Amino acid sequence: MQFMLLFSRQGKLRLQKWYVPLADKEKKKITRELVQTVLARKPKMCSFLEWRDLKVVYKRYASLYFCCAIEDQDNELITLEIIHRYVELLDKYFGSVCELDIIFNFEKAYFILDEFLLGGEAQETSKKTVLKAIEQADLLQEPRHEYFNVPVY
Amino acid sequence: MSDVVEKTLSALPSLLSLDSQPGAGKLSSTSKLGNLIRGITELTSKHEEEKLIIKELASIKEQVASPNTTMRQMKEAMVRAIYCEMLGYQAPFSYIHAVKLAQQGSVLEKRVGYLAVSLFLNESDEFLLLLVNTVLKDLQSTSLMEVCMALTAVSQVFPRDMIPSVLPLVEEKLTHPKEIIRRKAVLALYKFYLIAPNQVQHIHSKFRKALCDKDPGVMTASLHIYLQLVKESPESYKDLTESFVTILRQVLAGKLPMDFNYHSVPAPWLQIQLLRILAHLGKEDQSTSEMMYDVLEESLRRAEMNHNITYAILYECVKSIYTVFPKAELLEKAAKCIGNFVQSPKINLKYLGLKALTYVVTQDANLALPHQMTIIECLDHSDIIIKRATLDLLFRITNAQNVAVIVEKMLAFLRLCTDEYCTVDLVGKVAELAEKYPFIKAKPGS
Repeated sequence: MQFMLLFSRQGKLRLQKWYVPLADKEKKKITRELVQTVLARKPKMCSFLEWRDLKVVYKRYASLYFCCAIEDQDNELITLEIIHRYVELLDKYFGSVCELDIIFNFEKAYFILDEFLLGGEAQETSKKTVLKAIEQADLLQEPRHEYFNVPVY
Repeated sequence: MSDVVEKTLSALPSLLSLDSQPGAGKLSSTSKLGNLIRGITELTSKHEEEKLIIKELASIKEQVASPNTTMRQMKEAMVRAIYCEMLGYQAPFSYIHAVKLAQQGSVLEKRVGYLAVSLFLNESDEFLLLLVNTVLKDLQSTSLMEVCMALTAVSQVFPRDMIPSVLPLVEEKLTHPKEIIRRKAVLALYKFYLIAPNQVQHIHSKFRKALCDKDPGVMTASLHIYLQLVKESPESYKDLTESFVTILRQVLAGKLPMDFNYHSVPAPWLQIQLLRILAHLGKEDQSTSEMMYDVLEESLRRAEMNHNITYAILYECVKSIYTVFPKAELLEKAAKCIGNFVQSPKINLKYLGLKALTYVVTQDANLALPHQMTIIECLDHSDIIIKRATLDLLFRITNAQNVAVIVEKMLAFLRLCTDEYCTVDLVGKVAELAEKYPFIKAKPGS
């Protein structure tokens, strides 16, 4: 995967994860143009786009658009399922997730994304394992000095 | 914008409850991040947003530069900096502090520090060199969380020249008792392989061990590397064909733990990776392909349900069948599958069907014949993407009889096309066709 963007129906960016090195200016340009292109799509249209020289897969969940750009040889349907799987993970973690959860806890959304999609590749780990890893870290709410180096598992 | 404000206001009571559940980690209403976000959502113009962010950035800058800021406050400031960067504003003064946060913070603060580093920096940044020491330290830590974080950070953004320094530590993690560490180590090595293949030449034997790992998660991770290796030089890995076939067979038979099922399909991503690897191994090689025919047939048969993920597997399976050495009955079954896709009322499947057809007509042009009517309908479809995919397909099946019509359709499409890349692509195709069939006269006025 090359990158994943999450944005609202007004085009406000909620999350962006880039798996390829690009200059900031380039990223902004791509984000702006792609967001506009996706927002212009009508609801009955295909979830796949050929935009510039990229393949883009997008899906709308309530008021959020999940948008991924993939390589040429990648399977579009599987990317749609990757998006769906990510949404399922978010749902399980936040308990019936809504856009607000992602807005206010975007760093948690990033952590979950990183556990699931490492370096742009989907890891086939069970849902349980991904969420357990995040929750273990969460349980360290108020780290006290004496607990620093104790193995947690 | 106002409905967001409404939602925010109605969500406030639950946000105010500081009774923290480890799962959701609700944000305290008085936190600076909460205020910032609320502030942004209330604004209506870009200009006001800019003003607010600039003010916020100045406050963050002051906070991170002050010697009195605790790590905890630094973590909070960092999250706000990430937010501002996400909205498109630069906060370069925070980069060095992100690295410091990853270095000096406690576990939670480290997590935010590493996240900030992976979001702000890219491979060529000089600050990354400072991160190397932190990563080295964390890789040797007795806390599993820290090792995990270091491995995650390494897989995302790491300077290529410093790979030799961390390589031995990452390598030794391959034999760690915990599955999650082994898995992350494999993925880190995969990333290293992508950016500096000669550095990891010597550990190919360890990848084989990862492939046979008793934990399916680690095994799947190793498949990413194998796909890359097999793509580059399939001959060296023909001996592994049997192993891959066996794994796929076991997956299809449901031998994996229940948790790997995705909507009652066993380990779909794993299946797809294996199908791709097998496709590369079996290409133009009859004996190797013979080893995989029955497992390919099995995959086709199993993926008969009505869910997107099974269609995804089917698509991959069809592609693999057409890449490996051909076998008549399999090709027939695959052709039927494609037929189902193209005829499907679901627009996504239609698109995939067209793409699959484009791929297979290079082998057998007659496959497109039974679907001619559907293809013609797709040409006039309201969705521009379907139109383009159809034109792509038509380009492949041009012959002396239909080339004039096809070129005409392409030119008509070009007139509507606004995307630069699309235009260039189509013009190239038209030029190619003109060269190939120089004696066909186009209709006047086109």
